Amino acid sequence: MKEWNLLLKKEWKKVSVIILAALLLTLSIIGQGYLFVTIVDRVFIEGGGLSAVLVPLTLLLGVLWLRTGVSTAIARTGVRLASGAKRMMRERLLHKISGASVGESGQVEAGRRVSVFMDAVEETDSYFSGYVPQVIQSLIVPFFLFITIAMIHLNSAFIILATSPFIPLFYIIIGMKTKEKSEEKVEEMNALSGKFLDILQGLTTLKLFRKAKVQKETIETSSLRFRDATMEVLKTAFVSSLMLELISMLSIGLIALEIALQLIIFENMNFFTAFFILILAPEFYNYLKQLGFAFHTGRTSMGAASKVFEEINKPEDEMQWGEKELRLSRPPHITLRNVTYRYGEDGFHTGPVSVDLPPGKNLAIAGRTGSGKSTLLHLISGLMPVKEGTIEVEEEDLHEYREDEWMNHVSYISQDPYIFSGTLEENIIIGAGRRPAAGEVETALEKAGLYELTQRLERGMDTLLGEGGRGLSGGEKQRLALARAFLKDPYIVLLDEPTTGLDLETERILSESLTELSQQATMITVAHRLHTIRESDEILFLEDGRVAGQGTHEELFGTVDEYRRMTTASRGVEVQ
Amino acid sequence: MKELRTVLALVAREKKDIWFSIVFGVLAGLTTVGLFGASGYLISKAALAPPLYTLIIVIAMVKLFGFTRALGRYVERLFSHRATFTILSHIRTRFFELLEPEVPHIFRKYRSGDLLARVIGDVESLQNFFLRVYYPPIVLLIVFLSTIIFTAFFSWMLALLFFLGLVIVGVVIPFIATLKQRKSQYSVREGRGILSTKLAEWLYGFRDLKIYQKQEETEAELRESMEKYEAAHERQQLQMAGGEGWNLLASLTATWAVVLVSVWQIGAGELDGIFLAMFIMISLMVFEDAGPMANVPRHLEDNRNAAERLFSLPGRTGRHSGDVSLESSGPLSFSMENVTYSFPESLTPALQDATISFPAGSKTAIVGASGSGKSTIQQLLLSMDVPEAGFIKVQGEDMQRVSQESVWKEVNAILQESHFFYGTVRDNLLLADKDADDRKMQEVLERVKLPHLSPEHPVEEKGGNLSGGEKQRLALARVYLKPARTWILDEPFSSVDALTESELMQDFWETAAQDTVILISHNLKGLEQMDNIVVVEQGQVIEKGSYEELMERKGYFYRMKQLENTLIG
Repeated sequence: MKEWNLLLKKEWKKVSVIILAALLLTLSIIGQGYLFVTIVDRVFIEGGGLSAVLVPLTLLLGVLWLRTGVSTAIARTGVRLASGAKRMMRERLLHKISGASVGESGQVEAGRRVSVFMDAVEETDSYFSGYVPQVIQSLIVPFFLFITIAMIHLNSAFIILATSPFIPLFYIIIGMKTKEKSEEKVEEMNALSGKFLDILQGLTTLKLFRKAKVQKETIETSSLRFRDATMEVLKTAFVSSLMLELISMLSIGLIALEIALQLIIFENMNFFTAFFILILAPEFYNYLKQLGFAFHTGRTSMGAASKVFEEINKPEDEMQWGEKELRLSRPPHITLRNVTYRYGEDGFHTGPVSVDLPPGKNLAIAGRTGSGKSTLLHLISGLMPVKEGTIEVEEEDLHEYREDEWMNHVSYISQDPYIFSGTLEENIIIGAGRRPAAGEVETALEKAGLYELTQRLERGMDTLLGEGGRGLSGGEKQRLALARAFLKDPYIVLLDEPTTGLDLETERILSESLTELSQQATMITVAHRLHTIRESDEILFLEDGRVAGQGTHEELFGTVDEYRRMTTASRGVEVQ
Repeated sequence: MKELRTVLALVAREKKDIWFSIVFGVLAGLTTVGLFGASGYLISKAALAPPLYTLIIVIAMVKLFGFTRALGRYVERLFSHRATFTILSHIRTRFFELLEPEVPHIFRKYRSGDLLARVIGDVESLQNFFLRVYYPPIVLLIVFLSTIIFTAFFSWMLALLFFLGLVIVGVVIPFIATLKQRKSQYSVREGRGILSTKLAEWLYGFRDLKIYQKQEETEAELRESMEKYEAAHERQQLQMAGGEGWNLLASLTATWAVVLVSVWQIGAGELDGIFLAMFIMISLMVFEDAGPMANVPRHLEDNRNAAERLFSLPGRTGRHSGDVSLESSGPLSFSMENVTYSFPESLTPALQDATISFPAGSKTAIVGASGSGKSTIQQLLLSMDVPEAGFIKVQGEDMQRVSQESVWKEVNAILQESHFFYGTVRDNLLLADKDADDRKMQEVLERVKLPHLSPEHPVEEKGGNLSGGEKQRLALARVYLKPARTWILDEPFSSVDALTESELMQDFWETAAQDTVILISHNLKGLEQMDNIVVVEQGQVIEKGSYEELMERKGYFYRMKQLENTLIG
């Protein structure tokens, strides 16, 4: 929770405002009590009229308004503190993610990050807007009230001193109890509350098995069981506030009794002092009690916060880039020297891979699923950091170049290119990295076989894609990726070939496009098609992350058994 | 408003808990006022040195009030929360009742993921309805009115003051707060939606953005919408704090006015001075719970919107099941005649002018690339939606006239995405056969090559702990337990390795030898024994025939087959 305090330290101005406001609040509470008592004393005991209390009455209005002002100031500063802290956390998350490399488990990871960024951060809100201001108030207000009471009447202060420790003690004990209870129940509660969504999601399946109607009862019983489990946890929380209430009441009762004795039996106390104490004491206990309630919300926020900071502090591969420029007038010379990547400490290993790619050569990476082909492609593209060894581009370590200098020359055609929400045109231009000249987009569309589609679409190139727009079929997506590449006109083409067959038209376009692109670029392909492999200058055959064979098709076919097996017993032929 | 009335009706079902919440809420409120009023009176009385017994009586009363207040609050909380969760259960079941008849075609209209996430959010937000909007104002009103009546015995002027205070904190300020809120155009809810969409896009498109060097640009856009959302959220929270602040100001000023009027009335001899302290205390306490009233209209507005979104959702599709029951319990026959179907947002039809016949007992394969329209055929044959043009017939009867239930009864379907429920393997298999015992389940699990799973094996949400291949085999086990004789399977083994697939297929063909089988696949392997292979491309049926016929024709299917033979790894 170090970061937690750091956050507060950074926001010291707002925290100071709350502290100052809490001090003023104490002042106004004491002032308010004093003036009320003065007025009652003058009117009731001394029998004075309105004129006798004009001054305290006027002052009272001022003090009451001051109290309103500072209370509101505390609440508003709390809100500001919370949004400041949330901003900071989100900034740091963004910074963290933007610097990170591209992992393999993209989808799951992205989903989890959305939930941390949106929900976990939001859950920390009540810590800053509720808990922190409450703690500050509950430390300052009771302290000064205690001193004031001690100055007026020492006996009451002794009673407070004796009774008030029970309040924090109690909520520590009960807090622990609730925690145990809720931890015990949390799994059951999650399961029950998830049941409704589970049923809605599976409703189609349920209908096909004609079990949909009976689910109404399942929803009802699980909701009611959820209620009962929640109530059990809440009950302990409610009992705790009941106990706190009773303790503070008993304490106030004791104070009142002592005062009454002093006032009536011993007659050594005046009305003014008695009433003043009796007005201040409940305020004292009130602020202590509220700390207990705030505690509850504070703790759930803490859980969310630790999730956020776990994410921020997670060790992650960061890409390092240099400052060098990369000027090219032909495809670069790329050399891999013992390039290795490892997931975690002793996780899956890819490499070492060494390969020399003179300008314009084609490299195919082959192997079974999970053999590390995509990892290798990511390493060469500069999307993942090399752990050992080097990738040299034009006799210089890749990571000595500026990121954009390198990326400007690279096209990455993935199996599942991301479609951004925007128009079809915007989705293609994104590949160019610059404003294309007139007619360029059309040419790219034509080459990628998308021109006809845009003609068929009512809004043509202005058709909205992505979120809330038109969906694309697998073949159309592939063509879109090709169009992006044509527009960019890159010196390096990285291709993750589709594992399954596309429609024949797209297949034809794909192979023609690649031939054209490869005329002036170095092609590095994760290959799933025999002819792609056959036509490449060099093949890297991977098995479990290591290089099991390297060379041309003929060389590998003769020497590597597994390679021969894979290229002959391809999917279309029965495996027996 | 109609939708909120639905919620109100559901709330009203918990009469007992509502009564208890209100009664104990009022009890707690009144005893709070009583407690502090009495102690104010007590201290004044003590100053006059009265006989001890009167003091003892008053002290005892104060104690009694104190205990009653604490207990009252406790009981109120118990009942109000219990009621809230029970009401939540009613809302869920009611919503389910409304949604159920609309499934599955409603999921064809809206993307189910977004739809359901919204539904869950809206249901959860209705939690606040009872707890913040429904009963607290009632409690406040009763406590105030009681206080006013009590005060009227002493001074009608003070009573009038309390009434005025009530109007200000309960009506005037909340009303002004609502007006202020309406002014802010950009809603927090919207902002949150935009931010999370942008974020998801940034994260899911991360690799492509990096390559295109657009990552920083999009990140800046993301920052901007984040800033906008945080600002809107902050503004909303500040407004709420402001509303409570205004209420506090009004309350304290009212108390001040009470002091002023009391002093004046005492001076005029209309009120005994002994009650001054009492009224100060009463006034402080009675206004104490009024702060949150400032934001009741805001919560009401939120709940109204949530209810509207929720309960206006079902009933939009207008699809009704027919009522003709299928008589047959043998293999069904289907036919599609010039069927055209489009998705709502799509411009090109998903299926265009398709004519295919599926005689009873025949084996048909539907092949084509992803997005060619194969799955749409399954959806239509399962009566999940109706075609725009053309006819679909089952057993010679128009599909629209046949009851959906009776089609589903006769068909074993595996959808592209099978849903598995949280629980155990047993729970998931019982769906298909509620009488299946463990032995039968174990048998079928072994049959689908899942011998390592037992009926007790836990299944996480959406089958998250099962691999793609395991899920597909479990889906097969599930339909094996259902005694239907027509099979419509959409890529049932796309994630199963080749060897296991051919074993499973062999076993399947033995089981379904006499049955109607419609197999959707983009894998062209093992189609030799099919009676009919239908090739779909961009929503159109471009080739039909047996394996030999299509291979001889050297057309599209032949070329697809050629291509497949060159796919490796």
